[in-house]
Amino acid sequence: MQLVDKMPDEPAKPGEFILPELMAIAVAHEVRDDDIVFAGTGLPMVGIMAANMLHAPHALLIYESGICDGKTMHVPMSVCDQRAANMSSTLGGLVDTFGYFLQGGFVTLGFLGGAAIDKYGGVNVTSIGDYFSPAHRFTGSGGNADIGSMAHRTAFIILQEKRRFLERNEYTTTPGWWCWDFKTREWKPKQEVWKGTPFANCGPDSVVTNMAVYRFDKNGIIYLETNHPGVSVAQVSENCGFDLNVERVKGETPAPTYKELFVLREFVDPELIFMPQKMEYPPAIQSIIDSH
Amino acid sequence: MPRPLRQRKKVEILSLKEAVNKYMRDGQICAYSGFTGFNRNPVAFAWETVRQGFKDLHIMDRHGSCCTWLLNAVGAMKIFETDWMGWGEMAGKLDISLERRYKAGQIILEDYSHGAMAMRYLAGAIGAPFIPYYAPLGSDLYNPDYDSLGRAGLRDGKNPGIAKKKFMQIEEPFFGDGDVVLLPAARPNLAVIHVAQAGDKGTARWRGVGTIDKEIAFAADKVVLICEELVPESEMRKSPEANQIPFFVVDCIVEQPWGAFPSSVPFYYDYDAPFMRGMDAASRKEEDLKKWLDEWVFGPKDWEDFVVKLGVKRMLDLKADSVTGYSTRMMRGKKPAPRMNTPLSVARSGF
Repeated sequence: MQLVDKMPDEPAKPGEFILPELMAIAVAHEVRDDDIVFAGTGLPMVGIMAANMLHAPHALLIYESGICDGKTMHVPMSVCDQRAANMSSTLGGLVDTFGYFLQGGFVTLGFLGGAAIDKYGGVNVTSIGDYFSPAHRFTGSGGNADIGSMAHRTAFIILQEKRRFLERNEYTTTPGWWCWDFKTREWKPKQEVWKGTPFANCGPDSVVTNMAVYRFDKNGIIYLETNHPGVSVAQVSENCGFDLNVERVKGETPAPTYKELFVLREFVDPELIFMPQKMEYPPAIQSIIDSH
Repeated sequence: MPRPLRQRKKVEILSLKEAVNKYMRDGQICAYSGFTGFNRNPVAFAWETVRQGFKDLHIMDRHGSCCTWLLNAVGAMKIFETDWMGWGEMAGKLDISLERRYKAGQIILEDYSHGAMAMRYLAGAIGAPFIPYYAPLGSDLYNPDYDSLGRAGLRDGKNPGIAKKKFMQIEEPFFGDGDVVLLPAARPNLAVIHVAQAGDKGTARWRGVGTIDKEIAFAADKVVLICEELVPESEMRKSPEANQIPFFVVDCIVEQPWGAFPSSVPFYYDYDAPFMRGMDAASRKEEDLKKWLDEWVFGPKDWEDFVVKLGVKRMLDLKADSVTGYSTRMMRGKKPAPRMNTPLSVARSGF
C-alpha cells in the first residue's frame, strides 16, 4: 500500500492549510475523470495535476505548446516545459493543440486565469483604460481567448477585488455568455453571435477566486455557489463590482482533505514553485508519514 | 501582388557574428523559435542582433521570449504583432521594458490570440493567403476599431509582410457553420530557429515540443538555424522520421552550443529560472537594466565568452539527463526537486 492511500479522506481543519492550497483543490474538483483538459500556467496547471493524481487519473491533460496527455513527475514552470512532456502520448505543436484538438472540438474543459471578469463570464487579460493608451497593459490573450471560447466548458481562476469583478469589461479578451456582435454593434447572448458554429454552447462554467466559487445560471449570469471557509457571503458581495446573486449559495467551499493536501504538497509542488510555503502536518497525519 | 515562387536553397555555415550581419536588417519582420522564455529560444542570435545595433524590428511571433526581452531592453523593437506580450511565465510574466516603451508610444502592439497566430503561420507555411478560424467571435481582438497597424497607417499594401486587413468575419459558405474569422497568412522576412541537431546540408531536428517552428520555417523568406550540434547530413538520414525541417528551406546554419541559454533545449540543458528572475528584476529599474546589459550583453567578447562567464557549476546544474531531457539538480523554487519516480497519475491510471 502506498503512503498516499493511507492518508485520510477527511477534510483538514482551518489553520492546517493555506488559501492557495484550498484554491488549487477547488480547481481540481472541477476536473472529471473523462475530461480532456487544456489549462494555462499557474494555479490552473497545479490544480489539474492534482486532479490527475487524485480522483481523475484518466483525465487527459493538453499543454498548449503541443503536449498530449503529459504525465508529470515534476511540476512544470511553463506549458512548454519538458517536465510536462514526460510520458506524453504524442508531442506536436500549436497547430495540434489549437487546431486538431481544440478547434477539432475535443477539449471538454479549459482552465484559465484572468485579470478581470464581467458578470457574464467575459474575461479581460489585455488592458485597463483606453486600449491604445492603457492605464494598465497585461500580457494579452495567449491561449485564453481560444480555449475559453472553444472548450466545451471553461473554468477561470481570478483574484477577487471590486475592480476585477465588473458589470462590463473595458476590454473583452475572451467572450462570456454575453458579448459584442461586431457586425451589428449589438451586445448579444454568445449563443446568437456564435449561432451555427460548433461552439455556440461552449463557455464559462465556473469561477474560482480567493474568496468563493461561482457558477452561471441559464441566462448566462454569474452566481455565488460556495464561499470559502472564513469568508462571509457579505464579504464576497462587498468585493464584487456588481449586484451579485447570492440566493443559490450552497454553503462553504469544502476544505481540502488530508489526502488532497498530501498529494499537492508531496507530489504536485514539493519544490514550492507555485505554493508560497509548506505547512506542517497535524500530529496524527505526521505519525502516518513517520510510520510508513 | 502574389507571393513570388520560391527557389530551393543552398545552405551556408556561418559564425554567429557573420550570420547576424548577413541575415538581419533594420526594420525587417522576424519570427523566433521555441515557446515563451523557456524552450529553444535562439537567444544567442537575438543577443548578437542587439550587439550589432539593429533597430526598428517588426517581431511577428506567437509570444514574447528571452529574445524579445533583449530587443525591448535596448529598444530595438518597433512593432510587436503577437498574442502574448509576456516572456517568462513563472520567472517574470510581463516584459517591463516592453510595457515602459509601449506606454511611451515607442512600440506598436497588435493583438491576436495564440491559436490565431499558429493558424496564421500555418497559412504562411502552406502558401495559403488566409485561413479560417473560429476563435473568438465577440472578442475585442476582432473589434474593427482595435487594429493597431491599421491605425498607424501601415496596412497600405506597401510592406508585403503586413496584411491589408487585420481580419475579416464571414459567413461560412460551405456547410452553414455560422460565422468564422479569416486571418491573413504570416509572411515574415526571417525565421531564426534554435534546434538540437542540424545536418551540414540543413536537415534539422529537435526533441520535445515543436511549437510552430516547422510552420515559421516554411512561412519565412529566409531561415537561419542555430544548432547545438552540427553533424554530417548522412547521420540525420539514418532516422528521418525524427527530423522536422527539410534541408531545402534552410539558408544558413550556425553551430552555437548553449546558444538558447537561459531557455532550455530538451535533452541538452534545462532553463535557468534564477537567471531569468534576475533579468526580470534588472528590468524594473533603468539603471539596473543598463548594468545588466553592460555585464551580460556588451561585456563578453563573444557568445563563448558569455558561456564561460556562466561558469561550470551552473552548466553542471542545468545539464539535462538522458532519460527525461531536463535537470533535477537545479533549484527552481524554494526546495530541491524530489527524486524521479513513476508519476502518481500513471500509477493510478495503470498503464
